[in-house]
Amino acid sequence: MTIPPLIALMLFPGGLFLLISGLFYEWADRKLVARYQNRIGPRWFQPLADFLKLLSKEEVTPKGVNAFLFYALPVVAVAGALTAALYVPMAGLKPVFSFSGDLIVVLYLLSLLTLCMGLAGTVTLNRFSLVGATRTLTQMFSYEAPLLLALIGPALAAGTWQVSEINDFAAQSTWMALIQPVGFIVALVGLMGKLELPPFDAPEAETEIVAGALTEYSGRGFALFRLGKNIELVIGLTLMAAFYLGGLANPLEFLLKTLGLLLLLSMLQSLFARLRIDQVVGLWWRIGALLALANILLVLFVY
Amino acid sequence: MESTTQKNKFIVPIGPQHPALKEPGHFEFTVDGEIVTSASVRLGYVHRGIEKGAESRSWTQNLYLVERVCGICSNIHGTALALGVEKLAGVTAPPRAQAIRVLVAELERIHSHMLWLGVAAHEGGFDTLFMYSWRDRETVMDLLESLTGNRVNYSANVIGGVKYDVTPELADSIRRGIDFLEERSRFYLKVVTSDETFLGRTRNVGTMTKEQALELGAVGPTARASGVTMDLRVDAPYGGYVDFPVSAVVEQDGDLAARFVVRIKELFESIRVIREILDHLPEGELTARVPRRIPPNEAIIRLEAPRGELFYFLKSNGTDQPERLKIRTPSLCNWASVMQLAVGHKLADMPMMLVGIDPCFSCNDRLFTIKKPGVGRTNSEEVWTWEDLRLYGIDYYRRRAI
Repeated sequence: MTIPPLIALMLFPGGLFLLISGLFYEWADRKLVARYQNRIGPRWFQPLADFLKLLSKEEVTPKGVNAFLFYALPVVAVAGALTAALYVPMAGLKPVFSFSGDLIVVLYLLSLLTLCMGLAGTVTLNRFSLVGATRTLTQMFSYEAPLLLALIGPALAAGTWQVSEINDFAAQSTWMALIQPVGFIVALVGLMGKLELPPFDAPEAETEIVAGALTEYSGRGFALFRLGKNIELVIGLTLMAAFYLGGLANPLEFLLKTLGLLLLLSMLQSLFARLRIDQVVGLWWRIGALLALANILLVLFVY
Repeated sequence: MESTTQKNKFIVPIGPQHPALKEPGHFEFTVDGEIVTSASVRLGYVHRGIEKGAESRSWTQNLYLVERVCGICSNIHGTALALGVEKLAGVTAPPRAQAIRVLVAELERIHSHMLWLGVAAHEGGFDTLFMYSWRDRETVMDLLESLTGNRVNYSANVIGGVKYDVTPELADSIRRGIDFLEERSRFYLKVVTSDETFLGRTRNVGTMTKEQALELGAVGPTARASGVTMDLRVDAPYGGYVDFPVSAVVEQDGDLAARFVVRIKELFESIRVIREILDHLPEGELTARVPRRIPPNEAIIRLEAPRGELFYFLKSNGTDQPERLKIRTPSLCNWASVMQLAVGHKLADMPMMLVGIDPCFSCNDRLFTIKKPGVGRTNSEEVWTWEDLRLYGIDYYRRRAI
């Protein structure tokens, strides 16, 4: 069964479906963290309400920014995230587009969001934005390599760098999370770093630098960046589930496995104090990268 | 925004409005990358003229006014004034009232320290600890409410005694409440001393040696975390602390972790004293008679507030109103330590270091004398008339084009 390209882009699995699932997963994450922290948490439509409210807000263009970049960056960021979704098995269905080596493209498209956020921070003259942007980019350079290495583990085991084939391979073999537990942990924590979730939220530590790189954003721009992050959360969970949790074959499996991962992710979020940016870099390069490399070596020897 | 790179310095302003601050204050951190190279503080955004206001109110009215100096340690201010007026009038509150004052003061200390624990954890991005400690703080708030009818400004004191008595039923519910709090405090002590990510943010951060603490004039838990044995409840016991002694909790490390440990261990000490008081509550009256007009005299009162040494100077003039009331809150003494120790630390540590002294901004905003008047129709170098101040204010804002 193939989906017509227009529907694939606008409705499913791209476009509308991603927007809705992004908001749903944001709610699930917020609710779970709230329950872990002994709070009630938001109601189910809160992310949608936040999103709509931001859209209706006045968008302030700060003095001294390049207006084109300022408005284009959030759009590029969301576009990158939406495009990445076309190559992953969203909702457990076959990816819409697929070619050999699309894993690298997906990871690149996902990094686009972080890159755009970093640039968005440096476009403005705001001091909090600048510090936040520096931290965002610093953090990107620390988690990106270990995360990539950790995702390459299953790819090497499957003998292909095509997301859909890795998914099929994972569905037939034992869960990769059991065979390559080190890679699984590195990838999971790497995903948290990518999404700037606590304890890796130094780039947007509100008690230090207000909202980090996005301090000057209001209204639409901010809404789009948030949406981009939500979509990235969904795609990240999908990739993780496809690679490490025995693949995704149908929507039910997708829902159960990604929500299960989210449960773990939100627990990790509420367990730790925020790491300083130097601690983040140290953690990733001293421990994360080494563990991921060891995992790769292990895979190479075993397979 | 041009001032961003003024003199090639990158200054990160925190405040007057900033998510890290619960009250307005202004801090400027000059940073080199993430490292802070200099720090400055500007206070005075919440000056409320309480001292001047006190001079036109009666002693009894002032009891309620000074409770509003601090929203967290409100009771200790009321106690200070009550003790001061009793000293001026030469009256001593009955033993039962003294004991109940200590009881309320220690419950307040528990409430204040648990509040601080949550705020400090939040500044370090550990929101789970924040939520948990504030949930448990509700217990002590409820106890205070059942004792005095209020959760925040208890107004338990009257001049010459206290308003509220502790019934046996109330004593039982307080015992149950503090049993729960003791268990939770043990858990929090374990968290702040064993959680690796948390220790990564607190251990060896903002370390203040004993010498520095003495030199910079630190007080309260901040000083005690640096090995300075300084606790007025021990050094100069006042009121009920004579009959119910406490021991000072001292840690030697001087870093943020030690400040956490000191404050949590003080919870145990407070809980112990509360049990002691409930078991041996003296019988008798709750109030002593105090004349309405206080003969001319001066008195100094020093109390151990949850944040450190609280200082009151009272001067009476024979009427029912004070001639002068001077308050110095502990937060003011601790600022110097933060500004000194900030240099060389990372920007990310600043919120936790600021909060590490448990600052209370509106408490310490009192008064500043302006010694070199540049504008206005002033004749004197020192004394400003109301008109001078008004003109100065207009000119100040005009120069800033506001």
